[in-house]
Amino acid sequence: MSLSTLVLSLADNKQMLGLRYAEWATRAPSLEADIAAAAMGLDDLGHARVLYGCLEALGDDPRRPEREIDSGSYLALPYFDEPWTAWGQFVAANAVLDTAFTVMIQACVEGNEEVLRTRLRKMLSEERYHFLHGRSWLRAGIDQAPLHDAWRQAIEWFGPRDGDVAELQREGSLSMGPAELTARLEERLDAHAPRVEIDWAAWDPARRRGRHGAIDERTFGMLRGLEEKRFYPAGA
Amino acid sequence: MTDHHFSRVHANVREYEVFARKARIEPLRMIGSVVAPDDDLAAAYARATYDEERWIEMAIVPRDSMTTLWAPGEEAE
Repeated sequence: MSLSTLVLSLADNKQMLGLRYAEWATRAPSLEADIAAAAMGLDDLGHARVLYGCLEALGDDPRRPEREIDSGSYLALPYFDEPWTAWGQFVAANAVLDTAFTVMIQACVEGNEEVLRTRLRKMLSEERYHFLHGRSWLRAGIDQAPLHDAWRQAIEWFGPRDGDVAELQREGSLSMGPAELTARLEERLDAHAPRVEIDWAAWDPARRRGRHGAIDERTFGMLRGLEEKRFYPAGA
Repeated sequence: MTDHHFSRVHANVREYEVFARKARIEPLRMIGSVVAPDDDLAAAYARATYDEERWIEMAIVPRDSMTTLWAPGEEAE
């Protein structure tokens, strides 16, 4: 896997995280949490745009035309395949997955690729507030199922210990490999990752996930602009 | 999936006043308030709610940490 494919995975996941956050902007547990969900959604959609904008500068844009017709060509995690139905899913994504993506951004900022070092730095300061939000809600307590799922998918997303991300670390593109990324995530959340058995042979290295599936049809339509077209004047 | 039930308002919250300024020569001024159960969430809420302007500084203070000398309708002693 190339660095640009990893950046595309980060961008697709940030885009989906932003969309899922935004879906909770009117149904979070408090008015302040509604506003935070909307603000964090906007942040992550903005981060996705910056990351997509880095692909050309990296010299190898891995996006292919099938992204217009095949939802399975998006590189997002299973956690984002369907809209979240419980606040606990929001909190687990906010605390664990959002922080996992931030830790990877930090690895990019500390790496030797200049375009990533300069363009991604600002994200780290914005993500500080996502982290505070997620950690505080996590301390309030949520069900273990979404939390375990989020941890598992974060570890899968970092990849196997001697895999592609480890190779990018050896090349200097990233300052951390999977072991360091997991350790940093544990340190930030002041928690140990749950013990998970991952079948790396069945793991999809491009989509960085072990489970089949894809973004739901309505969300995929929104990504392609089809939802907006429903409101166009006839004949437009 | 079952999930914890949350009311629209936390059971134990504090009110935080939010202060900000746009330039070094300006004093911090109160721009609003947020309600949250802890400092972390108050900081996240303040930033999310009041970040629409280009502040150079923002701070939050728990309302119960402020000492009121006199309030509207009262006279200074």
